[in-house]
Amino acid sequence: MNSVTHPIAPEEVMALLDGELSQFDAQAVSAHLEDCVECASLAERLRATSQSLSEWIVPPVPSSLEESVLIHAAKTTHSPLPAMAGRSIQLSFWNWRLWAVGAGGAVTVVLVLVAIAASMIYHEDHSRHASLAMNEMVTNQDAAGNAKPQSAAGQSFEEDKQSAGFAAGHLQQMGGAGGAGIASIGALAVPAPMIARTVSLTIVVKDFAATRTLLDSIVARHHGYAAQLTAATAENAPPSLQASLRIPAPELAAAIDELKALGRVQNESQSGEEVTQQHTDLAARLKNSRETEERLRAILEQRTGKIEDVLQVEEEIARVRGEIESIEAEQQVLEHRVEFVSVDLQLTEEYTAQLNPPSGSVSNRLHNAFVTGLRNAAETVLGLVLLLEEYGPALLIWLAILGLPILLLGRRYRKLRAKH
Amino acid sequence: MQDALPASVLHSEAKSRPTMNDAPNDSVADSSQAPPSDEKLMVDFSRGQADAFSVLFTRYKQPVFGFFRRRVTDPAQAEELTQENFLAVLRAAARYQPDALFRTYLYAVGFKILRDYRRKTTFRATFLGEQLPDREPVIEDAIEAKALIRDAVGKLERLDREILLLREFEQLSYAEIADLLCLPLNTVRSRLFRARQALYDLLAAPASQFATREFAESKERL
Repeated sequence: MNSVTHPIAPEEVMALLDGELSQFDAQAVSAHLEDCVECASLAERLRATSQSLSEWIVPPVPSSLEESVLIHAAKTTHSPLPAMAGRSIQLSFWNWRLWAVGAGGAVTVVLVLVAIAASMIYHEDHSRHASLAMNEMVTNQDAAGNAKPQSAAGQSFEEDKQSAGFAAGHLQQMGGAGGAGIASIGALAVPAPMIARTVSLTIVVKDFAATRTLLDSIVARHHGYAAQLTAATAENAPPSLQASLRIPAPELAAAIDELKALGRVQNESQSGEEVTQQHTDLAARLKNSRETEERLRAILEQRTGKIEDVLQVEEEIARVRGEIESIEAEQQVLEHRVEFVSVDLQLTEEYTAQLNPPSGSVSNRLHNAFVTGLRNAAETVLGLVLLLEEYGPALLIWLAILGLPILLLGRRYRKLRAKH
Repeated sequence: MQDALPASVLHSEAKSRPTMNDAPNDSVADSSQAPPSDEKLMVDFSRGQADAFSVLFTRYKQPVFGFFRRRVTDPAQAEELTQENFLAVLRAAARYQPDALFRTYLYAVGFKILRDYRRKTTFRATFLGEQLPDREPVIEDAIEAKALIRDAVGKLERLDREILLLREFEQLSYAEIADLLCLPLNTVRSRLFRARQALYDLLAAPASQFATREFAESKERL
C-alpha cells in the first residue's frame, strides 16, 4: 500500500477502527474502504488481530483482594486526612508542607538568634574583661608609681637601683600619675610591671606618596624610628608599604592618633606582654655575677696562692665578666622593648584600576597567544601520553579484573530486562 | 468473564470515553440519570465518602487485575501488585487533582508500580542470582489459543507490546497512551500499527505450520 495508489495511510485505517479519527476524516476513510479491496483487507486483518486478542482473558479478581482493599479504604476514610481534605485538597497538602517547613524555619531562626546572642554576650564579656584587666594594670602602675617614694629608703643594691629606676622611668613614660617623683627612687619593695607592647595597624590611604612623607615626619616628631620598611609598587596593584616602627612608649598614644589620621583604618590591634618576671630574674642574675666578680677580684688582690691558682682565678673572672655583659645586653634589649613600642604598620593606597595601553601590536599579541595555545595543547597531549604511560598498565590490569565481570553482569541485566 | 473488553476495533459502537475536559461538575451533573464520573467519585472519596471508592473499585478491579495479570508471570504477584496499586491511590487520595482522567491516573500509578517490580526482580536475578519467573504464567485454564496469543504478544518488541496491551485491553486512547508513556502521538500510532501487523503475522504462522504438518501427515497416509 502506498500513497500513490491509496490516498490514505494504513495507520488511518487502523485509527478509523479505533475511533480516533475526526468525523470528516472518518467519512473519507470509510468511503475509501468501500472502494479499495486492499484497504478493506487490511481492516479485516486488524479486526481479526483484535478478535484473537479477545481470547486472552484473565480470571476474575480473587475475593481476598477485594476484602483487603475495601478494608483499607474504610480505614483511610475514617482517618482525619481525607475528612480534612473536604475543604481543599491542595490546601491540605500544602498545609502539611507549610507546617513542616514553617516549624523547621522557626527552629532554625531561633537557633540562629540564640547563636548570635550568645556570640554577642561572649564578645561583650570578653571585651569587658579585657577592659577591666587594662584598667587594673594602669591602676597598678599608678599605685606602684605612688608607692615608690615611700619605699625608697634602705635599699643599697646597685642592681636593684638600676632596675627600679628603669621601671620608674618606664612608668613615667607610660604617663602614670606618680611618675613625677620617681627620679629619687633608690629601690622598690614591689617591682612595677613592665609591659612590652605591640600595635598593629592597617590603613588605606588616598595619596600614597604624600602619606609616605607624612609617615616619616610622624616617626621623627615622636622620636621613633623604622626598624624595617618595605614599599612595593606592582603593576595593576595599588602601591603599598609595610613597616615595623619603634615608637617611645610615652609618645605612643599621640603617634597612633596621627597615624590613624593618615587614612581609613581597616584593622587595628594592640597587645602587651608582661616581662617583669624576666627582668627581675636578669637583675638577680646580674647582681650575683657582680658579687662573684668582686669576690674573685678580692682573691686575686691577695695573691697568696701559686701562679696556677692566680691564672685560674683570672680565667674565672673573665668568664664571670662575659656572663655579666651577656646579662646586661639581654636586660637592655628587654628594656628597649618596653621603652619602644613596636608598631606594625601596613599602608595601602585605594586601588583604582588603570586602563593600560596594550603593550605591543595586536598582531604580535595574537601571534604570542597562538604560540602559547599551541604550546599548551602540546603540553596537554604530552601530559596525557605521560599519564597513560605511567598509569596505563595498571589501568589495563584493573580493567581486566573489573571490566569482564561488569560486562557480563551488564549483559545479563539487559537480557533479563528484555525478557521481563 | 469480567475482564475489560478488547479494543474498540471490535466494538466501534462502544460508548465514547470522557475527554480530559469532562471534569466532574456537581451542579450540572444529574446523578439520577447518569452514573457519576470516575473523577467525581474520587473527589467524593477524598472528601470522606467511603462508598465512592467502593464504586471505583468495582469499576476498575478487573481491568487493573488484568493489567498486571497480563504483564506479570506470577498470578500471586499480579494480585499483590493490584492491591498495591489501589492502596497507592488510597494513600494519595487527599492529593488527587481532577485535572486528568482518573483512569489515566490509575494506570500511571500501575505503570510505576510495575516498573519498580520489574527493576527489583531484574536486579535480584542479575546480582543475587535469583531466578526470574518463567515467561508463561501457570496456565490454569489452559487453552491452546490463549497460550499462542500470550506467546505471540511476548515476542513483540517491549514498547510495541505495552502500547498494544494498553490499547486493546485497557482501552486507552492514543493520546492517553502517549501521555502515559511520554511518547509523541504519531509514534504511538505507528508503533501500534506495527505491533498489530507483527501480531497478525505471528498468529498466522502457527496456523500455517499446523496446516503444513497436517498435509504432510495425510500425504504419508495416502
